[in-house]
Amino acid sequence: MRQPDLAAVLSDVRSGLIPAHVYNDPEIFALERERLFSQAWVFLAHESEIPAPGDYVVRRVLADSFIVARDEGGEVRVLFNMCLHRGMQVCRAEMGNASHFRCPYHAWTYRNDGRLVGLPFHAEAYGGEDGFARQGQALLPAPAMARYNGLIFVSLDPGAPPLPEFLGDFAFYLDFYTRQSPAGVELRGPQRWRIKANWKIGAENFAGDSYHTPHTHASVVDIGLFREPTASKRKEGALYTAGPGAGTTYKLPAGGDFASGLSYVGYPDAMIGAMARAWSAGQRALVGDSGFMVSAATLFPNLSFVHNWPQIDATGTVVPFISLRQWQPVSERETEVLSWFAVDAAAPEAFKRDSYKAYLMCFGSSGMFEQDDVENWVSITDMAGGSMARRLKLNSRMGLTSSGRPVKPPMTRFAGPGTAYQGFGEFNQRHWLAQWSDHLEAGPAR
Amino acid sequence: MTADRPLPYGDPAHLAAHQFLVEEAALLDAGDYAGWLGLLDEDIRYLMPVRVTTGRGAGFDSLADMGHFDEDLYALRKRVQRLATEHAWTEDPPSRTRHFITNVRTFRNGTATLRVESALLLFRSRGDTRAPDLVSAGRTDLLRETADGLRLARREITVDESVLRTQNLAVFL
Repeated sequence: MRQPDLAAVLSDVRSGLIPAHVYNDPEIFALERERLFSQAWVFLAHESEIPAPGDYVVRRVLADSFIVARDEGGEVRVLFNMCLHRGMQVCRAEMGNASHFRCPYHAWTYRNDGRLVGLPFHAEAYGGEDGFARQGQALLPAPAMARYNGLIFVSLDPGAPPLPEFLGDFAFYLDFYTRQSPAGVELRGPQRWRIKANWKIGAENFAGDSYHTPHTHASVVDIGLFREPTASKRKEGALYTAGPGAGTTYKLPAGGDFASGLSYVGYPDAMIGAMARAWSAGQRALVGDSGFMVSAATLFPNLSFVHNWPQIDATGTVVPFISLRQWQPVSERETEVLSWFAVDAAAPEAFKRDSYKAYLMCFGSSGMFEQDDVENWVSITDMAGGSMARRLKLNSRMGLTSSGRPVKPPMTRFAGPGTAYQGFGEFNQRHWLAQWSDHLEAGPAR
Repeated sequence: MTADRPLPYGDPAHLAAHQFLVEEAALLDAGDYAGWLGLLDEDIRYLMPVRVTTGRGAGFDSLADMGHFDEDLYALRKRVQRLATEHAWTEDPPSRTRHFITNVRTFRNGTATLRVESALLLFRSRGDTRAPDLVSAGRTDLLRETADGLRLARREITVDESVLRTQNLAVFL
């Protein structure tokens, strides 16, 4: 893409007018690969997916396949899944337990910490260490790897800022989804499926689109599955941006406190006590004093979260669930969705069972919310690939006056960090798109 | 109690089970979900584990604790109710589906229950221009013989892909 064209696109995006073709444009996708995914911290896996030595899962950052393994010493390793010799994948399963990975091509063998330990006919073929120094050879590690609450992130940029610096104020919100007790969260799954949609649409939607909920998800209100997402309730929620993340909340019933708010969404007393101990005063205040419960969120670039509390049986039992999901780009017009069910590791077994049921009914490959979301996103992507889309700028200025000021001022009574607005607005999507624009503007990785 | 050989194809129980599956597929392809619910037993469990790619020696190729579906009658009724609303956008316009059922084998499973294994190929067409989706799966069903005829008490769907290539499971398998 020519530089003046890119500059015009990014200028439009920053003004809240999105050239529609960015949702299905191979040149934009190439820039995302070169300038965004080459640098950003990207989620790969959670430690609970590889609890024992030898456990591994294989995950990707775009086309790059990584083995995320727990080695024999218990350390988490992220290894580029390509043999040093001829480049074959040393692991072609997506999960399992192995002390070593042996390349099927010439049997070069690596321990699960990445070290090369087997090289057939080393002496005869190479003349031993002189011809090929086996000592110190290892599968390429991810250029940068770091963890938060057991979430394993990598960056392809060895000079990436430290993960805590990157997460910044969003860590405050991340704890609601991934640290409800000192035991932390456990992930199950993921369900994986491919959709003919651009990856950005889901990321933006989860970041802040409370406006779509009353209409896109009208059917789940119609059938009494989830009582909240009516327009009258959704517009009482707060939208927040914090660090590289942004999310939506629901307003809890007035007059409640920390415990009653969590009880309202279906948490049992034992879990509420654990949350009170696990969370900071500020985190407790967001629920107890400000009266907001987190719902959807996105951590830039492509990891999203959702926390809802549907009715899971005919007697109206309300049970909350958490899902983590990744929008893994395949191309400008296709995305692989990875959707995990997440639950506090210390939660009672009965709660885990019910929460899993709540998740399956609402989100994931068969979820009744997700079904309608994906239909929208596929349709948008389809339209964005044509020539008329290059003449259309999608209005993403909700919540702003013509002069660019917020229609309503930011909230002052919101206990979380960052900036929050109550009611409908596209503040969060613009916040996500501003980061996207920064990456596309910045040029190739160092 | 499961017999290890399928019933002969001429066995009345096999013929009844086979007919049940074909009639069920006809209801699904006609979008007659209320009729379909009528074929389910009160304690139905409708299960579709997530399939995973693992090595031969791994000892598992699906996730024990995560499915695409793990439904009881309440959950299935909600799904059907949703499709009947005016706001189930993903199925309006509806998918055109064809459930191809084949390789049916019936096993006597106790006195009043049949275990039926079948192969399913679901063809799903959405919209006028999109490429169609295919979902291939094996199914293991428990059919209960009741006074009103056979009822589906359990279905386990073993999907043949670890990454589904259909935009959602707003359809039944």
